[in-house]
Amino acid sequence: MEDIEEIEMSGREIPKIGVYICWCGINIGGVVDVPKLCEYAETLPNVTFGKEYKFMCSDIGQSMIMDDIKEGTINRVVVASCSPRMHELTFRRACREAGLNQFLFEQANIREHCTWVTMDDVPGATKIAKDHIRMAIAKAQKLKPLKVLKVKVEPATLVVGAGIAGINAALDLGNSGYKVYLVEKTPTVGGHMAQLDKTFPTMDCSSCITTPKMSEVARNPNVELLTYSTVESLTGYVGNFQARIKKNPHYIDQKLCTGCGSCAESCPIECPNEFDLGMKPKKAAYLSFPQAVPGQYTIDMNHCIRCGICEEVCPTGAIRYDDKPEYIDITIGTIILATGYDPYDATRMKQYGFGIYPNVVTALQMERLLSSFGPTGGKVRRPSDLKEPETIVFIQCVGSREFTGKGRKYCSRVCCMYATKQARSYKEKHPKAKIYIFYIDIRAFGKGYEEFYNDAGKNYGIVFIRGRVSEVYETEDHNIVVRAEDTLIQRQLELEVDLLVLSIGLEPRSDIDDIARIFNVTATKTEDGFLMEAHPKLRPVDTLTDGIFVAGTVVGPKDIPDTVSQAKAAASSAATLMARGEVEIEPYYSTVLDFRCAGCKSCIGLCPYKAITFNELKKIAVINEILCKGCGTCVAACPSKAIVQNHFGDDQINPIIETAILKKINKREVKVE
Amino acid sequence: MNQKKKTRENEMPPDKMKFALFLGCVIPNRYSFIERATKSVFEKLNIELIEMDGASCCPAPGVFRGFDIDTWLVIGARNITIAEELGVDIALMCNGCYGSLLEVNHTLKTDKKKKKMVNEHLAKIGREYKGTSKIRHVIDILYNDIGAERIKQRTKYGRKSPLNLKLGLHYGCHLTKPSDIRPWNQESERPTFFDELVEVSGCKSLNYKDKFLCCGAGGGVRGAFKELSLDYTREKLENMTKAGVDVIITACPFCHLQLDLGQVEVNNIFKDKISAPFNIPVMYFTQLLGLALGIDAEELGLIRSPDLKGVPPFVPLKPVLKKIGIKG
Repeated sequence: MEDIEEIEMSGREIPKIGVYICWCGINIGGVVDVPKLCEYAETLPNVTFGKEYKFMCSDIGQSMIMDDIKEGTINRVVVASCSPRMHELTFRRACREAGLNQFLFEQANIREHCTWVTMDDVPGATKIAKDHIRMAIAKAQKLKPLKVLKVKVEPATLVVGAGIAGINAALDLGNSGYKVYLVEKTPTVGGHMAQLDKTFPTMDCSSCITTPKMSEVARNPNVELLTYSTVESLTGYVGNFQARIKKNPHYIDQKLCTGCGSCAESCPIECPNEFDLGMKPKKAAYLSFPQAVPGQYTIDMNHCIRCGICEEVCPTGAIRYDDKPEYIDITIGTIILATGYDPYDATRMKQYGFGIYPNVVTALQMERLLSSFGPTGGKVRRPSDLKEPETIVFIQCVGSREFTGKGRKYCSRVCCMYATKQARSYKEKHPKAKIYIFYIDIRAFGKGYEEFYNDAGKNYGIVFIRGRVSEVYETEDHNIVVRAEDTLIQRQLELEVDLLVLSIGLEPRSDIDDIARIFNVTATKTEDGFLMEAHPKLRPVDTLTDGIFVAGTVVGPKDIPDTVSQAKAAASSAATLMARGEVEIEPYYSTVLDFRCAGCKSCIGLCPYKAITFNELKKIAVINEILCKGCGTCVAACPSKAIVQNHFGDDQINPIIETAILKKINKREVKVE
Repeated sequence: MNQKKKTRENEMPPDKMKFALFLGCVIPNRYSFIERATKSVFEKLNIELIEMDGASCCPAPGVFRGFDIDTWLVIGARNITIAEELGVDIALMCNGCYGSLLEVNHTLKTDKKKKKMVNEHLAKIGREYKGTSKIRHVIDILYNDIGAERIKQRTKYGRKSPLNLKLGLHYGCHLTKPSDIRPWNQESERPTFFDELVEVSGCKSLNYKDKFLCCGAGGGVRGAFKELSLDYTREKLENMTKAGVDVIITACPFCHLQLDLGQVEVNNIFKDKISAPFNIPVMYFTQLLGLALGIDAEELGLIRSPDLKGVPPFVPLKPVLKKIGIKG
């Protein structure tokens, strides 16, 4: 970025404040009288003028500010418009480009804090808008020029979660030459996509397109694969994060294991199999699935009885019952969170009998039944008697679009298509089978999706019935009877079928709160429970924490193409930061006034960012400007008022409070009403 | 720690609970033993039930609300004001009354206009609806306030209970739906609270097909389409017979009537449709809990004098009493 010569400012010159009030189309202008607000602003001290414009954020709006600065008529800028989260950086950039120190800008939020919430009360809204403008001007009087800090960006990325999103992001960055640490909780990469049989609408075999990616990411020299590992803690800031990673013990030496499988063959213990969703047991010494990457075995210590048989049969002597977790510390510049989703727990929808009747399965279980390396070798069998089902019912929106509190309110976006895909897949092998899909609406919105759905009805003879199944029950021979209403012809029906498949939705991971806490993205949790992007439209893969990006279903339900797009976008955003090599950090840090500090150390323990150290020589506290996030905890706690914070100092905040409660700021004794 | 917890579970809530007992219409007119049994059980559990002087019909949700919502609201609100004056919550034994008063209370608490309208009418008789009393089904009180575990500690028999009957539970529709204003944790599909409560007696509650099907009587169906309503009852009874139910347990006098008197009617009307006449004894759940708590069968209204004709129960309870060793 080229350096623009900055107009010299000491911070002590007489403020000449330019006030710009934005109409924001009708968002603000439709509620309050903007020209009147300008007139009001001009009555306030040190205000040179008040100007208005339809859209201050537009090029013309920004030019108004820049021209005034260049002419020298103003040296402080106040914009009354939307939330600073929206456009603070826009206006600061305009100030900087015109040569004014960008911290001599203040924004008053009269949209979110005023006209949007007080739409039907015009006099009230006007009063609130005046208050906001008055407060912003009060602060603007006291603004001081600040210098941004520049820090180097470590050219390494931590990618959390090795599903299809994490794998793609890691590959893109690895191929661009950046170091990537790919951390995965389970012993294998691949995520949910490795469990799927085929993908819609192209009917590509899911394994055929996932497994090459899985081995590619394992072979990439720049990608360090850390499977069966979790991120324990994270410190630092954009460009310079420190992560502590816990590598869980495999109880089998991963370097010695050749993946021959003799341990699993001889293991006497059978335990629940997460990969096949409980439909087939796994041995306590196991490989998640034949194509797993890495291909080394792991012992499930929750079930192992330490009988010692595997120790005897292992040809390389790799078994380690006393294996301990290992911790490694890494330094990275950027982070991509791609931790994925949990499938909805169908037992919560008791009316559908999942977990009560054997022949009710979830769609993810159906994927495993259809898969050639699934529990039945790709031949779909119903659980009660291993009969090939002749009739199948799919129930859509199980746990999605559900307003009763037992499910999620949102649409899970993939269920219409995967149910259609599974139905078609089964029909291809069993043309005589009867398949019914009960739906609320069919949402076939992607490229080639509508055609795929249409074809399923026309050429495959799959019956789509609009109606939500009310309840199901079981007959003596474990057939499932479904009760529903066909709402298009207003007829009630009861269907007896061999197998019932519940199209379950996607939910935030059960440990999403831990993820949010560790990566300090807690504030970005939305109502639906997923992580929230920095801006839903314009910053879809950023979080509000600089340097941390999100990709895939950790932000919300989405299909594979969307997930991969986000992964690539996140990788490119991370690469942008790392390619530039340095980032600017907001100078909102606090500093210790040497002469006041008594060396009581009370601030040191309070700092959540571990930014304060103690100078034994001078016996005073010292704040690291880069680690400091400007939270102000130490400022409030210091008993001798020895800590001052940039941009949010007492001399800047107090005038705001005073003007908020005093009507006329130049005559302090007059109180409001 | 563990022991401490156990003793706390044993104790009853410190303050003696008080409720106004709302009777409704069916209990005083047809099944007075339901009132008797409930009062005995509550006395045994040290909960006070106060009479509600001047209470009227709830009014029946299917009939009154179906024709005129405002009338339904005003009459319901008037009943609630009686409990408000007594300063207690309402306890009731009938699903219909429960549904009606619960929903009246909810409507008036959430809809200011309706509340104003209701109070304008109530002012004419010097009453005012305030919204200070809650509406509680006796199952709600026993399950959520006392808890099945505490009641179990108080049963007479402990583990070797002679009460080893196979129960066919009938929840009834208004007890669980609509679920969002009811105290069952949003659960209206296959709930288990009633099963847990009656199983403290040592009996086993069976799962049978369409356990949550309507008895057939509600919503004015019994009044308007008797044969249709009894066809539901027939299906329900057939499913219970198939599962091998010894005794039907109800939570509502109207369901009770339909499943008790209804058996006689079904045996008549559907003579050709059914394989054998039905003869399954029916008990209100407090009668069964009363037996478990050691209350005399006669006090619970389980024994009918042989010279009384045309009074309930219409299906004799003798076989089931014999099974648990009580001479009827």
